Amino acid sequence: MQPQMAPQGYPQPPMAYGAPGAGPTAAHQITHGPSFAMLRVDLRPGETLVAEAGAMIARHQRVGMEVKLNAGRSAGIFAKLKAIFIALVRKAIGGETFFVNHFTTPQSGSVWLAPALSGQIQYRRMQGETLVLSSGAYLAHMGDVDLKLKFGGLRGMLAKEGAFFLAVSGLGDLWYTSYGGIEYVDVNGSYMIDNGHLVGYEGNLTFNIRTAGGGMMGFMASGEGLVCEFQGQGRVWIQTRNLGALVSWLSPLLP
Amino acid sequence: MNFEILHRPAHSMARVHLNANESVLAESGAMIGMSPNVQMQTQAGGLMSGIKRMFGGESFFRNTFTAHNGPGEVLLAHALCGDMRTLEMTQYGYFVQSSSFVASTPNVQTETKIGGFKTFFAGEGVFVLKATAPSPGALLIGAFGGIEELQCDGNLVIDTGHLVAWDATLDYSVGKSGSGWIASFLSGEGLVCHFRGQGRIWIQTRNASAYGQAIGSMLPPRSA
Repeated sequence: MQPQMAPQGYPQPPMAYGAPGAGPTAAHQITHGPSFAMLRVDLRPGETLVAEAGAMIARHQRVGMEVKLNAGRSAGIFAKLKAIFIALVRKAIGGETFFVNHFTTPQSGSVWLAPALSGQIQYRRMQGETLVLSSGAYLAHMGDVDLKLKFGGLRGMLAKEGAFFLAVSGLGDLWYTSYGGIEYVDVNGSYMIDNGHLVGYEGNLTFNIRTAGGGMMGFMASGEGLVCEFQGQGRVWIQTRNLGALVSWLSPLLP
Repeated sequence: MNFEILHRPAHSMARVHLNANESVLAESGAMIGMSPNVQMQTQAGGLMSGIKRMFGGESFFRNTFTAHNGPGEVLLAHALCGDMRTLEMTQYGYFVQSSSFVASTPNVQTETKIGGFKTFFAGEGVFVLKATAPSPGALLIGAFGGIEELQCDGNLVIDTGHLVAWDATLDYSVGKSGSGWIASFLSGEGLVCHFRGQGRIWIQTRNASAYGQAIGSMLPPRSA
């Protein structure tokens, strides 16, 4: 009664090395996408991988892990207090804690990371530009990359997902994640995106939060809630699922 | 017997082909369908082992499916979205995170182990099954997310919520992830499992309790 093995394993993409250019390039591999993506980063001595708290699946024992408050580079005392305050608020309302883990290794070693929700992981090599990520989209970074918290304004607060953004800039490697698949839209002029589906956008774009149209009736009855109206020229990344929608579908079904 | 795994990786299902008079042992609730000549028998396998299994987050009962008067098939699935795979039994056997067990050939013996005292209080208890078999056989395991095989060559540290199974040749101990309890709490990593030795480890790319917390914190409070 020898069991027959079903074909196992996934087609594995080759290890990716960031494009040549200034700054560090991380040896990494994203597998199991698009539904259950996982990231593996092979660290070399002297490299530091910074990852969202709780994202680690596994690491070699020689890879050290240290928890830090995500206050940005060379943050002053005021920025640190602000980060602590935001960390507490976020702990209360859910989402990232803004504590991050720093992984370093004396010899080469690997770290495996994944987000909590089902979805994809994407890699971007930062070359001095600014990218703004919506709350929950940040997974990890390496190199000379700065993370700054941005407050989405009062209207952003109303829209829940728009309360905080993370502005990422600098030179290095960035991995971000989504709930569902990741699609991009090249905005030239103006484009509307449901704010629960927003993953991130290029820093040269601006947006306003507004209703999708149809006045008060449209806001209440269309099920579209609030949208972000982007202006300018640049790329916006969207996710094919919306956590807020899942929660409002699930809530009435609970005992 | 032959396990055929369909609809991988997100919503996998196993079709178990049974020869006449062959049986498969499955976790209660895992059955989707079966041929009319397959008979199901429910067994607790002893009161104490049933109670131990309940502590491990599994069901008290297990079902045995047997094909009578000719070949038959049973369809099995795991509760969560994710991949499944079979592990061929070796002389050393496997440790399996208890909620990952879906089915096995009937010669596989499972014994519930409690992964240390402190894990009991930490919520994500590390209840593991030790699966051994005196003769060739197989285990069918299910995961939340994708399954990845890691080769442990000395030292690996793995978040307990991502563990599926590992070779029983490996030594393991459960502990905190950081240098201190506060650092471990802030790091968000909870408990980790330290592995020593040589062997294979299967991990799942999602963590059911982390997923539950991400969504649970947004749900309305349970009415009393």
